[in-house]
Amino acid sequence: MRTIKKNAMFYIMMVPIVVYFVIFAYYPLVKGLQTSFQDYKLMGDRPYIGFDNYDLVIHDPSFWDALWNTLYIGGGILIVGFIAPLLIALSLNEVMKSWFKKTAQMLLYVPHLLSWVVIGGICIFLLSPDTGLVNMLLMKIFGMNPINFMADESWARSVMIGSAVWKDMGYNCILFLAGIAAINPSLYEAARMDGATRWEQVRYVTLPQLMNTMKVIFLLNTLGIFRIFDQIFVMRNPAIASKVDVLMMYTFQKGIMEIRFGPAAAASFFVVLFTLLLTVMVRKITRFDEV
Amino acid sequence: MGIERLERMGWKNKIFDFLNAVFLLLLMLTMIVPFINVIALAFSSGMASMQPDIILFPKDFSTEGFTTVWKSLNLWRPFMNSVIVTVTGTFFHVLLTSLAGFVLIQPHLPGKKIIISFILLTMMIPQDAIMIPLYLVNKDLHLINTLSSLVLSGMVSGFSILLMRNYFLGVPYEMSESAQIDGAGMFRIFATMYIRVAKSGLATITLFEFVSRWNMLTAPVLFINDSSKITLQVALKSMITEASATSSNFLVTTNVRMAGILISIIPLIAIYPFVQKYFMKGLMLGANKE
Amino acid sequence: MNMQKNAVIAMILAGTTLLSACGTNNSGVANNSPAPSAITSGTEASADGGKLEILSGNVGGKTPEGNAEFEKELSKKTGLDVKLDKPASDFDQKVLTALSSGAKYDLIEVSDLAKLDAFIKQGVVTDLSDFVQNSKVLSDPAVIPTGEWDQVKGPDGKIYGVFSKFQGATMPIVRKDWLEKLNLQEPKTLDELYTVLKAFKEGDPDGDGKANTYGLSTSGLYDIQGIMSAAGLKYRYVMQDGKRTIPYATDAAIPMYEWFAKLVKEGIMDPNFITNDTAKMRNLFLTDRVGMVTYWDAWVGMFNNLKKTEDPNTTFQAEGMLSIQAEDGTILMRRGDPDFWIIPANAPHPEAAKKFLEFWNTQEGITLGSLGVQDYDYTLENGTYSLTETGKIANMDHGVPYWYNSTVKSPFPALPGVEDAMALSKQHATLELSLSTWPDAEKIVTNYALKAMSGQMAAKDAVAKMQKELKSANLIDE
Repeated sequence: MRTIKKNAMFYIMMVPIVVYFVIFAYYPLVKGLQTSFQDYKLMGDRPYIGFDNYDLVIHDPSFWDALWNTLYIGGGILIVGFIAPLLIALSLNEVMKSWFKKTAQMLLYVPHLLSWVVIGGICIFLLSPDTGLVNMLLMKIFGMNPINFMADESWARSVMIGSAVWKDMGYNCILFLAGIAAINPSLYEAARMDGATRWEQVRYVTLPQLMNTMKVIFLLNTLGIFRIFDQIFVMRNPAIASKVDVLMMYTFQKGIMEIRFGPAAAASFFVVLFTLLLTVMVRKITRFDEV
Repeated sequence: MGIERLERMGWKNKIFDFLNAVFLLLLMLTMIVPFINVIALAFSSGMASMQPDIILFPKDFSTEGFTTVWKSLNLWRPFMNSVIVTVTGTFFHVLLTSLAGFVLIQPHLPGKKIIISFILLTMMIPQDAIMIPLYLVNKDLHLINTLSSLVLSGMVSGFSILLMRNYFLGVPYEMSESAQIDGAGMFRIFATMYIRVAKSGLATITLFEFVSRWNMLTAPVLFINDSSKITLQVALKSMITEASATSSNFLVTTNVRMAGILISIIPLIAIYPFVQKYFMKGLMLGANKE
Repeated sequence: MNMQKNAVIAMILAGTTLLSACGTNNSGVANNSPAPSAITSGTEASADGGKLEILSGNVGGKTPEGNAEFEKELSKKTGLDVKLDKPASDFDQKVLTALSSGAKYDLIEVSDLAKLDAFIKQGVVTDLSDFVQNSKVLSDPAVIPTGEWDQVKGPDGKIYGVFSKFQGATMPIVRKDWLEKLNLQEPKTLDELYTVLKAFKEGDPDGDGKANTYGLSTSGLYDIQGIMSAAGLKYRYVMQDGKRTIPYATDAAIPMYEWFAKLVKEGIMDPNFITNDTAKMRNLFLTDRVGMVTYWDAWVGMFNNLKKTEDPNTTFQAEGMLSIQAEDGTILMRRGDPDFWIIPANAPHPEAAKKFLEFWNTQEGITLGSLGVQDYDYTLENGTYSLTETGKIANMDHGVPYWYNSTVKSPFPALPGVEDAMALSKQHATLELSLSTWPDAEKIVTNYALKAMSGQMAAKDAVAKMQKELKSANLIDE
């Protein structure tokens, strides 16, 4: 009793947080779950139909296409989006001049500040076969034929992965740099005393010491795989839709385009489930709990 | 270590440094060139901006893109709405989540673990998946068509709470305990000690929140019907990607679109240098103290 | 890291409690959705001074101030207390979320027959047959030609919507001044069309000495009907002996896709046609980048007007032309889905809504819907109308640029070129048949059609794939 009284202030401070989450996260979640078991019409009776909606979703081939697209694009973003910024962070760390380092950091971070509406618009524009900068360079410098990046199936997923990596590169890079900066300098000193070259310092000091940061970043990025939506929504077109429509796009189409809220809700609970599964899996594989 | 070897290493080092700098410069170019392109197009005339050409300098210099987008397409109004929503929303977000982070470092707080799990679980919920129930909640609270709905949307987030908590964990607990013995109130400890020590953490979530609020799209699309209350991103979206068949007497040429994009970037670029210094430090702790 | 491990366990625990919690939640929620029968009663209050809540996509002012004025004027004219919500974007999404969350509107603007179909199935819309038949205004064929009502009838033959404007058709729109400059005739056949488009690409029609023009641009498959007409192919579904067919997915479409592929390969077609939205397509046309697009008849006038306002001495001249004729003489043009009002089944003030629907089709309503608000958008002095600056920007379109009511004449002359274009569409344009399976079928058709047109896939293979996938998904019968 005494401890509760002592802590009363703390509990009161938590009240708005808890209330907020109950109203704006848990209640909608429960509502959504309920919808997934209903024949959810726009108006009138909404009878419960058991697992029919889930059944409909698993027997829909385009759901599995969407899952595969999600894994492909999301996986690509996860892996490339992990390695590229790591390399850049290591490379930036070797730069001695601090003004150069700071400028680079800042510039690399800029795309992360912008919304997908803006970045997507810029990408479509830059990749356009006739007026786009990328194709202009390909044509004028390399004498190549223009590539219709946004409309060619074989490029579609790479373009999505590439633009997502490009956008978030600076952000992940700064996370890595922060991790590197936190490494105890005496470790480097000891390595130098032993005559380690710069590469050896990276290999035997930086990388092992960065392990925890890498795990955290990998795990955080894993959570994002199934949430890809804004990017695809802005950058897709009918010619590449079958290659890039991800799970969230599927739920959007079921719900808003086809007015079938029940299946849409069921599909989004698959998304929640997959996220949960993947998170647990990644934790197991990275042995996150041992950090 | 022989002198000869040292020299050879120095030579190698220089080559490496050079190549490294070239690599980074090229990378930076991929960030800079598109933006120069955008800027140049925004300051070109309507006709010139539609021609196929590499444009890195304004062609046929003109600010008509800006006047069209600002005055004729009335972008100033969504801009102001975005400013209001972003500033108020970020303020409350930072206040509430840092308070929560502070609570969650108390070592002997019964039920702390439950609260943390409660918060962690919310991070798993995809916002886009619960759009319709969220609309329902806002409707029942009579928030539809108000800027308050946008301030409330995402006012608290598990990510920020945990980040702030990690931050405060960096403050030695003994410090606050000794202060408590001196009779200082809980909020005083929080306001005087923790907040000051955790300045960089605050800067981090401020920047994150500011950016994500400024870029927020789903909520305003859903909750706002009144065109005088839409936010900048919605206005931009309909300008950049939406095919509107309704007639309008304005030609939305490329320079107009680019001017809109530039205007939307300015506040972000403006706040970034102020928080950057703390931001780096903030992430350092956030990323390591999991 | 102990905390994290616990957190995962707690999460799963919490998850299971959530599952069981929703069981108890049911009864409370079921009450939220009103039973349809309870809706119509109790709202028969006199329409005068009553309320009216409208959710509109196009109708209303173009700016927030303009919309407020419009709302006020509408209230004044109808004697109702009108609230007009006009969202800035994503109108469809808005309508669905509003409806499904039980938000109440008296009138909703819809411009998609497939949506109406779904609404009827889900019991969302009110049957308006009796109202329309008994209404002095709406049953008058001079106000709305009797045959037109078929468009807004459900499968049960009942009327579920009332038109908010006259919807035109799409057609190829060509730069007449370019034709004249290059000494070309308006193309009638596919070969002539090819020659014209090629000349637009190579003949430097804009006279700037650079090869920066294209012959043709579209926004994806939107809209190639004017050209597909050459093979007698109608877009979307066509019922043949009670069987569902999609002409764009038949073998007859192969040479057409090949024709487009040739255009793309030779650089005559705008290579961005797949990623274009219609706004981009329009802009290309207006900035001398392309000589032909396929778009709404009303836009012929707007194109010309826009350029005239920009530069009074412009040589720019857009002209609507007939679709390319098929060998058997058929000309196919696409009539757009009508734009209409529905009264949702849960409308709190259906009588007020009906009053509005009659008003909207009278002289006063049409003037408001086209010109806008008096003394704000236009002034009336001694019988002459003149537009204010605000009115000029609104372009005589507050949701009703054109209307059915033949007794109401516009006080302003028609925009240049538009009357000829509309005459063509009135003669040839027909509605498309969009069954409820169309959204699924559309994905397959557009995907392969665009691949064939852009040359990523041989037209023959693309059509074969279309047929196979459409059949296996049971989207066509033949």
